[in-house]
Amino acid sequence: MKLRPFYAVLEREVLRMIRQRTRLVAAMVRPLIWLLVIGGGFNSVIGQAHGVGYQDFLVPGVLGMTTLFGAMLAALTTVYDKESGVMRMMIVAPLPHAWIVLAKMVSAALAAIVQAVLLIALLLLLGHFRSGTDWLLLAAAVVAASFACAGIGMVTASFSRTLDNFAATMNFVIFPVFFLSGSLYPVQSLPLALRRAATINPYTYGVDFLKHAILPASVPTDFSVTLDIAVLTAFSIIALTVASWRFSQESAYEPMIRVLAGKRG
Amino acid sequence: MNAPQTATGPAAIRAAGLTKRYGEVLAVDGLTLEIGSGQFFGLLGPNGSGKTTTIHMLATLIQPNAGSAQVAGFDIGRNAVKAREAIGIVFQESALDRTLTVAENLRFAGLLQNLPARTIAERSRELLELFGLNEHRATPVAALSGGMRRALDIVRGVLHQPKVLFLDEPTIGLDIPNRRRIWRFIDRLRAHNAMTVLLTTHYLEEADGCDRVSFIRKGRLVESGAPHALVDDLGRHILEVEGADIERLAARLEARLGPCLCDGDIAMFRWAEEDVTALVKLQSELGVDVRSWRVRRPNLNDVFLWVAAGKGLRS
Repeated sequence: MKLRPFYAVLEREVLRMIRQRTRLVAAMVRPLIWLLVIGGGFNSVIGQAHGVGYQDFLVPGVLGMTTLFGAMLAALTTVYDKESGVMRMMIVAPLPHAWIVLAKMVSAALAAIVQAVLLIALLLLLGHFRSGTDWLLLAAAVVAASFACAGIGMVTASFSRTLDNFAATMNFVIFPVFFLSGSLYPVQSLPLALRRAATINPYTYGVDFLKHAILPASVPTDFSVTLDIAVLTAFSIIALTVASWRFSQESAYEPMIRVLAGKRG
Repeated sequence: MNAPQTATGPAAIRAAGLTKRYGEVLAVDGLTLEIGSGQFFGLLGPNGSGKTTTIHMLATLIQPNAGSAQVAGFDIGRNAVKAREAIGIVFQESALDRTLTVAENLRFAGLLQNLPARTIAERSRELLELFGLNEHRATPVAALSGGMRRALDIVRGVLHQPKVLFLDEPTIGLDIPNRRRIWRFIDRLRAHNAMTVLLTTHYLEEADGCDRVSFIRKGRLVESGAPHALVDDLGRHILEVEGADIERLAARLEARLGPCLCDGDIAMFRWAEEDVTALVKLQSELGVDVRSWRVRRPNLNDVFLWVAAGKGLRS
């Protein structure tokens, strides 16, 4: 098993993260705006339920948001890699091409995990983290949610040919995935149609897992930890398989090579 | 240090009936080819003739619809990963990360080839020295000139010391000083470690140094041989005739001189005779219809033009 190519892809992701500090700052500011502005606003309207205010209820949701955006944006760089020369460097390497997909997915998950850790540190500083947090469970939840989000990203990337449809991806993938989950409200109290949508959304289980770890036991969660782990793991594996299949599929892959390597005969 | 090898050892590339179809278009049509180990081989042909598709199939990046090929002894279908280990490829467009520096790009490429970090550092230093890029180690690729970027692309392609190197139009889009520089690098590289090189180019003077060239036209190989032998096959001289009503003139001359190639106001004929008096006689016969005459040695460009026009080289 060749580990150096794998390491190469991870190292590049970390390098890029350090270089593009604005991306990192944005990844911190986005959830903080939700938590402090929107959470703070609704907090005064809604008040407390099950012993926590709305702002505290929102903490797992914004942490989930960081993993979702972090993993999605990192996974979508695969589309950029196709347009720039980087994918050319990877496809000529002596590895099965499914390895590239796996390495990209792991590096997207890694980016999400790093950003989640940074946000947790910030929230601790701001005093928005409950003292009773189950840290081991939280670590497992962050990792599981990050991989599932990286999976959503890789599948999306494997179906997009150019960066032009990035805005469409935002509108038709990231926002629905985020809003149709338990991030902003408990799933059980949603109207039936929305509840059904949230139940088939794998990201919902990631947020639920985070709630188990962060919120006090008095707050009802939507699913059990076991179900969360099962769904997130199964989804990650399916997403990896689908993305690898898409990348190796002739119709998706060959036009890509032709665009990549120049169209001249 | 070995001199560039011209001897043909066991075949480095062997293709039989290689065919690639894109919908209705037959990009490569039953291509059969054998390139000896250590050879410097040129695949020449007009745009859209199937050169790049051939390279991509041989480099295991696309799968042929029919036929088979082995590179460095490995089947490109069943043993693609093994074959890729032995292959270096420089694409027409750069395969570099513009956001990373020169050294970081080579590290990324080397790790992808499963090379240890120390080997990458050693070889990078050596190759960057050879290619005159040493003082740019820490420069981001986006800040390099086109010529330097192409040089780095070649370094990237040979970092893992491939047995077979594919160069797909390595000098396309570069100005003449940069083209010369790239060729000096490639020559140095070949002197440094003997490897099989498959080159495509449409700057034909660049293919003069090849051990062997093949012309490809509409996905089929039409002519193969050593460059000088192909030029010799074309004939001793090329006679260029320029005149106002060139088509009528060409038709008149074709009966006596054989097939002609028209290019604007100029008609080109192959002129095998050494006898100048025959030329003088012809000149006086045609008189004022002809604006100018020129007799010159043929070169690989002429071979290309005759092949591209679909006319045989031998009379």
